[in-house]
Parts: sequence; C-alpha cells; structure tokens
Amino acid sequence: MINSVLLFCLSSELYNHLVITPQSPVLEIGTNFTATCMIINTDEITAKDLYWNLSDITVSNKQYTKINSSSLSVTIPVIGEKHEWLFCFCKEVSNYVYLNRSKFRHGIILTKGYRPGKPENLSCEAVQVKMEISSTITCVWKKVGRSSTDVPTKYTLYVKELGRNHSKETNGNSSQVNLEIFPHHMPMEIWVEAHNKLGRIESGHLSKDADSFVKTNPPSDIKVISEKTFPTSLLINWTHPIAEEYLKLTYQIRFCQNGSQSWTYVPLVDTDKYIQSFRLQNLRPDTVYVIQVCCKNARRGHGYWSNWSTNATMRTPEGSKLTGKPDLWRIITKVDGVNERQVRFITKDPVFANGRIQRFHIKIQDKKDKVKSRSEEWERIPVNRSEADGSSSQREITFLKQIDLADERSVRVYVTAFNSVGESAQASLFIPDKAYDLAPVEGLNLSSHGGQLWLEWKAPKNKAVSEYVVEWAANGWTDWQRENRTTTHTVIKGNLEKFVCYTVSVHPVYSGWTGKPASVQAFVEEGAPLEGPEIVDRKLGRNDVELVWKEIPQDKRRGFITKYTIFYKNGSKTHSVTVPANTTSYTLTSLSGNTRYDAWISASTIGGSARSLNHSFWTLKYGECKRSPRIEMSWLIKENFWPQIPNPGESTIGTWSPHHPVKADTPKENCLSGISVLDVDVCDGKCVFEEDKASLPLKKDKYLSEEHSSGIGGSSCMSSPRQSVSDSDEGGDMADTTASTVQYSSVMASNGYKGQTPSSQPQQAIFSRSESTQPLLDSEENPDMLLQEGSKHSQRFPRQPCFTHTAQNKDSTDPADCHQREMEQQELLEPLDFYPLEEDSEQTTPTEGQSADWLPAAPASSYMPQRGGYRPQ
Amino acid sequence: MNGHVKSMHFQQLMETAAALLSLLLVMAVDSTRTVAASRNQECGNSLQQTLKLTRLVQKESVDLIKTYKASQGEMAELFCKVTVADVPDPNISGLEPSERLASISIHLQAFFPHFKRVYEQQTDLQSPTSPLLAELTTVSTRSKNLATLINSFYQSLFPNLPVPEPAGGPTTLPPPQNVFQQKVYGCVVLKTYKELLANVSRELRTLKNKPIYGI
Repeated sequence: MINSVLLFCLSSELYNHLVITPQSPVLEIGTNFTATCMIINTDEITAKDLYWNLSDITVSNKQYTKINSSSLSVTIPVIGEKHEWLFCFCKEVSNYVYLNRSKFRHGIILTKGYRPGKPENLSCEAVQVKMEISSTITCVWKKVGRSSTDVPTKYTLYVKELGRNHSKETNGNSSQVNLEIFPHHMPMEIWVEAHNKLGRIESGHLSKDADSFVKTNPPSDIKVISEKTFPTSLLINWTHPIAEEYLKLTYQIRFCQNGSQSWTYVPLVDTDKYIQSFRLQNLRPDTVYVIQVCCKNARRGHGYWSNWSTNATMRTPEGSKLTGKPDLWRIITKVDGVNERQVRFITKDPVFANGRIQRFHIKIQDKKDKVKSRSEEWERIPVNRSEADGSSSQREITFLKQIDLADERSVRVYVTAFNSVGESAQASLFIPDKAYDLAPVEGLNLSSHGGQLWLEWKAPKNKAVSEYVVEWAANGWTDWQRENRTTTHTVIKGNLEKFVCYTVSVHPVYSGWTGKPASVQAFVEEGAPLEGPEIVDRKLGRNDVELVWKEIPQDKRRGFITKYTIFYKNGSKTHSVTVPANTTSYTLTSLSGNTRYDAWISASTIGGSARSLNHSFWTLKYGECKRSPRIEMSWLIKENFWPQIPNPGESTIGTWSPHHPVKADTPKENCLSGISVLDVDVCDGKCVFEEDKASLPLKKDKYLSEEHSSGIGGSSCMSSPRQSVSDSDEGGDMADTTASTVQYSSVMASNGYKGQTPSSQPQQAIFSRSESTQPLLDSEENPDMLLQEGSKHSQRFPRQPCFTHTAQNKDSTDPADCHQREMEQQELLEPLDFYPLEEDSEQTTPTEGQSADWLPAAPASSYMPQRGGYRPQ
Repeated sequence: MNGHVKSMHFQQLMETAAALLSLLLVMAVDSTRTVAASRNQECGNSLQQTLKLTRLVQKESVDLIKTYKASQGEMAELFCKVTVADVPDPNISGLEPSERLASISIHLQAFFPHFKRVYEQQTDLQSPTSPLLAELTTVSTRSKNLATLINSFYQSLFPNLPVPEPAGGPTTLPPPQNVFQQKVYGCVVLKTYKELLANVSRELRTLKNKPIYGI
C-alpha cells in the first residue's frame, strides 16, 4: 500500500507536493477513518503548515496527528451515507506556495457504506412442470442490514450439486438458478452470500436432498365413488401427480358438506402413505360432500405441501330409516278484531334425515275433543326437494299448515317425516289457550360479538323447563334452534345478516307446552342508517322554530338510533343540538328574527350517521305571544296608531257564544284583539268581498265598516282604525243599545288564531266583547284620519298569500300550513305597513278559481266567526 | 508381615488397574459401536439414495427407448435386435463389493461417450424440438449424477482405495456410420445401458442387505 502510494507520489512529483493516503477509500459508516497527508519534493513547507478540510469545512486541529515533519494525519468519524471530499491544504506561508497553490493541495473522495448483513430465512422451491420437477430453483431470503447508494450490497445465490456449482447475482432478495435437470435423489447445498466493497457474508447453508425443495402439483383426476350399499361412505381415487421414481409422496385429505367452509381433515396417520385411494367413513347419508387432496414428499420434514386439488363433489347414497324426529315449531299471530289467533306450523327436517324427505304427515288434535279426534286421519303434506336442496348445511324450513285458533281453544299437533325408506319418530307441540300463560324466562340478555348473537337468560322460577326454543325473526322470516333444559346461554347458530334488526325470543317449553316468550331486539352489526330522518313540519317564531321529523323506516335504520343531532346554520356558522333517540320534535331557540336558516337532522347509530335533506326557513320578523303569533303586529299598530292607549286591564271582556253563553273573561295583556282585525284584513276581507256579502246583516256601503261592526253598540278595543271608523260612523243604532258603555268594543273571535289551529274549534264560534268604560281613543274620535290610515292598512296585505306560497312549496297543501305561510308572508310584508304599497302586492289578488279553493280554508275560519257572532243579534 | 502387607498393597493396586482397564475397554468398544452405527446409518442413507437414483435412471431409460423407437420410423423394433460391437459390456465384474462397485462406476462412465455420439447422430436425424433429444440429455446427465453418487459412495466406503477409472483407457467409439447403422447403434447403446442399470440396481439391492462394515 505504502509502496503504491510512493510510486504514485513519484509519478506525480511534477504536479503535486501533497499526497493523501489511502487513496479512494470505502469507509464503513459509524467507524473512524484516519488519513495521512505527506509533503513530497519540497522544503517550502512542513507538517505544521498543513490543515484538513472535509468538504468545505476545516477539520479541527484536535483531530490532527503529526507523524513527522512532512506528514500529518487526521482522524474523522464516518457519518452519513453521502460521499464527501477530504482535502489536505497548505497555508500560504511563502510566495512560492502562494504562486503554486494548486500543487499544495490534494483531495480524496470518501465513499461510505455499511457492511453487508447476513441474509436470513433462506428458502428454496422447485415446482412441478408437466410431469417433472422444473430444473429451475427459486430462492428467497430476508435482507439484513442497511445498504448505501455508494456501497450497494449485492447477493449471490449459490447452488451446489455433487460435482457442479451454479450461482447467480442479484440486488434483490430472490433469485432463480437454472440447473440442467432437477437432481432428484442427489444432495444439494444452497446458500446466499451478501457482499459489497466492505465485505461479504454467507447465509446459513441449506444442505439437503434435492427433493426437499420440491413442491409438486396436487393430485389429479380425483374421482369420488358413491356405493349404494355404503350410505355413510365415499371412496376417493386419484392419480399421482408425478412418477414414484422421481418422488414418493404422502397425501392429505379434507372434506366438508357442500356449502360449508368447515373442513374436516382426515388424520395424517391414515393417509401418510403412498396411496391412490381412500375411503371416507361415518358420513351422513344423502349428503353432498366436497373433497380435496394434496400431497408432499413422503420423507418427513422434506418438501412442501402441494396446493389443494380442485373440488371433487359427491352425494352419499340414501340411508335406511330416518333417525330422529322433525323439529316442529309454530308462529302465532294475533288476528285483529276477533278472539282468534293465526297459527302457522313450520318444521325442519330431522337432523339425520338419511335421505331426501318426501313428505310430512300432520295431525292437529283439539284438546277438548281429544277422544273424538283420535280417529282423525293424518294429513299428508308432500315436499318436492330437488337434488341440490340437501347440499346446504342449513336445515330447510318447511311450511306445513295454517289454522285460525280461537283464543280459548288449545290444540296438540303431531308431525312425522318420511324419506324413501321409512318414517321418522313423531314430533308434537301443544298450543295452549291464550289465557294459559306459562312463565317466561327471566333476565334475557343479548350481546353481539364476532358476527354472532350471544344470549343468556335465567330459568323461570318454580317451573320445570324441559327445553328452550330460541327464535329469531326479521323481515317476515323466522328461524329457531332448540337448547336443552340446563342451557342458560347460547349463540344463535343461523346465518345472520349484518344491519338487520332481529327480534330474538326465548320460549321455555314445559313438557311440550310453550311458555310466554321473552324477547329482545338486536343487530349482529350496526351500520349508519341508509337515510336521514324526514323533516315533516315546522312551527316558526321570531326567535325560535319547532322542527318535527319522522322516524327513519325500520328497514333503513340498520342499527338502533342512539340520538338525533339537529344542525342549523345561519351564514357560515353551524350550531348543533343533540336530542335523545325517542324525540321527534324540537324547538330551536335563540334564533335571530327575520333570518334565513338552513337546518338538517342527523340520526346516529353506533355504526354511523345519516342526515336529512337541508331544510331552509326564515324566522319571523316579529315575535308572537303565546296565544297569538300576531302580537308583534298588534303592538306595532298600538304603537303607531294608539300611542296613548288606555290600560286594557281596566276593561273586561265578555265572552259569549251564540249558542253557549260563557262567562266574562279578563283580557290578557298583549293578546289584543287587533289580531282579529289583521285576520280580517288578510283573508277575511277577501272573504267578505267574494263570499255572500248579502248575508251580512249589517252590510253597508263600505265593506270595511260592515265587516267590523260590533252590532252591539260598543267599539272594540281590538278594533283597527278602520273598524273604529266603521263603528263611529255607522254604528249609531248600536250605540243606543249599549248606552251605558263607551263605544269601545268590538266583536272578535276568540278563536281568531285558529288559522294556526284550524281543527281546534272550527264549529263553535265564541266571541268576546269589551265592556270597558274608558273613553274613546283619539284615533277613534278622529275617524277621518283613521280612515286614511285604515285604508292604507287594509291594502297592505296580499289577497292570495296562500296561493303564492303553495306554488313555492308543494308539500304544504293543508289549511294549517297555508295559514302558517300566510303568517310568514304577513311578517315579511310588515314593513310595507309604513311605506306606500307597491303595485305588485295589489296585483296578487287571487283569481276566481283560486278563491273558490281558498274559501273553505283558513281565511274562512278567520272571518266566519265574526259573521256568525254577529248574526244572532 | 511387612512382606504380606506389601503384597496386599500390590494386589489392590493391580485390581484397581484391572478395573480401570476393563472400564476403558468397555468405553472403547462402545465408542467403536457408536461410530460404526453412525457410519452404518450414513452409508445406508447414501446407498438408499443411490438405489433410488438408479431406479429413476432405469425408468427414464425405458421411456427413452420407447421415444427412440417411436422416432426412428419403420423397422425400429428390428434395429434393436441387431448386435453391435464397441458397445460397453453391461455386466458387472469383480468378486469383492469394492471391485463390483468400482465396476459399476467404470461401466457407467464408459457409456458417456456413447451417449454423446448417439446425441450427435440423432441431432442430425431429428428436429431440434424432438423430445428424443431432450430425453437423451436427461438420461445422460442423470447417468453422470448416478456415477458421481456411486463414486462418492465408493469413496466413503473405501477411502483408501483409488477412484475407479476405466482400466483400458478411453472407450472405443464406432467408426463413422450410415443412417441405418446410426439408428441401430443408438438403440443398442440404449438397450445395453438399460441392462447395465438393471444389473446396477440388483447389485445395490444386494449391498443393501449386507451390513456395510462387513463389506
């Protein structure tokens, strides 16, 4: 090494005065590296004038070691995978050095890497191709250790036969070696070597017989023979996949009933031979079995199991007599309106049918007519089973018969099954009369895990249970299983579907008499609902809205609803409220008035959530009192037109009905009958215009005055300005009849808000009258002024708000909705109260046809009471 | 008295030494038995594998002759009944097991040049994709494996004996032949080789029934 460096030095003496040794080293990351810089062919400098740079950074002189006056070494840690330059420089100690700077520097590149790691888990395989083992051996191994880009680790796979060696290099963790022929019965040694510039290391050697690496094809031509004389046995034959001279094989057999994935493995000790046939025994007669065979090198611990052969399917022959009895059960449904039950009898085949069931016989014996019915004949119920029917591992359910059974009657049912050979034992079931209630099980508890439903219960006290029937039903489909008397916990053995709500019942059976069931509902697995709840109604307020929704249909819930979350959004801010699962309406509060909101409701199960469609609404501009949504408007009127309104608390309101006199009631503050006035304006006015005006006893030239005349001589505190005009102008006669009272009364319908609750009191009109003795308001005493205001007021409401709204929202066709929207519309138009009416609002008067539709609805209910109230006078 | 005591001491010493010697002898014999048993098992495995490989080559030879006959056209059966000189003797010679094993090895090796010649001749007569050529290669290679295995077995049994080699130098191959002669020669080589393998198989079975340390 030193010699070569010196040789290099000599050859390059004309060019350089500094030389580093070693040249182009490959360094192991994590170690220390020492390089030496030598001064050659010059006395201009000494070792103390030298310094080292690692890339652009000067190495600390603490890492320097002066070897002699012309040599300086440096020791640096090898860090990072990226290659670097290490330079030896000289300080410019003289002009010569300065002028020949390029001769006083030398650099080497440091290549960095890791030592190769010993490969692990080497395994090799030669597979069968056609009738021989392929001459290609494929090996895989696990790489160990790290590898850098500059010092990559390569792998060489070695395969050593007796007398021949093969090898192949790769960068990966697998490789193939092609031999001339596969060396059966010859020893073979295989290993892999990891190597790079820093070293090499071999994996463990696989020194085995070459046949240890063989994986053959599975046995071919598998034939299953069913022999009539052996109904519980099947004979399997197959062909060896490869000739015995190449490889002696051992076999493994597995089988299962068709449709089942639960394989039964024949013990290896029985098949661990070089065999070509095997007889499966103790099988069930008339049952389809699926059989598979695989093989491997017979030498223990050598070779790999082949893949399983393709399925060979065969039905065992029908057996002799039926063993066991049918599994009889019933489904009882209440019949509405009569004291009867509908009973359906169903059955499963006997567990060991030993053949195809051809028919069932059923006999229903009334307990009261027991003696008489003994001679009753059996009813024959043929069943037509196809070849494939018995292939499923699930026992088939057969519907036998349906009867209507009076509640007070009890019957006993007998059923037997027949195959081609004979009859089964008899199964029987009692259906007691309805009043005969036998104790149910207690503490039924159900849990779901592992895709199964697990039940536990406590046996009924003081009753000897002979067995339990666990029944599960969903979507009109019922299945059951029987458990013995000592069982108190079990798992449902049927194929249950996810996201389906099962009603699981445990029926105790007392010597054939079925007790009252205990039932619970459960899901095997819950998922998010398929759809969200449907918002079906809303009740708007100024700062609140009540949302009403419909439950998700059962088949779309896919789980138990755990909660509803109501989301509502104004602009970008979303709020949410969570309510319990048993809620179907909720009032959102603290909303802003006259604001648009988007709301939706999310229904959650433990499996997820589903949300409803977006529901948009505007909150009302003015709030409502408890009794009336129009209190806000009333207040506005009061504020605008009756600034000095007397205290209504000093008045009394007489309430009466044309037919049922009622006692006087004290008016409630803020629930002024101005509402009545507005009602008239909105709808009743129209009704007056278009209905039978002649029927109004006090019909005058002005409808406005007519419609609000009290007819009892008093002016109403609830009167609108127009009404007051009407009262004062043309109510002289009436004033006479109420001489002792100030004209401050007005007839109003106590159900003047019934547009909101149209069904509450639609028939009975009840009226209230003010009996105030207070003086008239200024406005009432200056009717001219009020007439103007009233006229303006009377015009401000559109005449057909319901129609326009109906067109916007086709869902709301009932009068209540109509009225509700009318209210909204009023609220929206409220500002017009104080500004000149726009032309559009005038032009919205309904057409004749629309009016005809409109009349029987909400407006009529607003207006008619007043008419009716008036009529008796 | 003293003399008696001395004599007694000597006698006791002798008894102890005899006991120790006996123990050492027992241990030595036991150790020899263990080594022999181990060697026996190793040899048995090796012989078993050699026998299996012989059967495989036999099977492949039978298949090869069928393929050969099928690919030679008419009168293929006739070719195989003709006697040809310069084909190695299929009979195993020697009296001692070592001699007979050596004979097996030498005879197997003697066939290699003949296989090569037959392959060359058939390459001219058959299409390159002919299964005959592939099978010839397989049998030839497998035979080399068998010869290697037998040599290895021989060396493990008789490590001090020289590796068996043909005594008469390289095998004599027939002079240039016409197509008919080539077809006859090929069949005779394969048939004779099959006979040799049958003899080898028989010989190995005989060896199998003998304890190896008795060879």
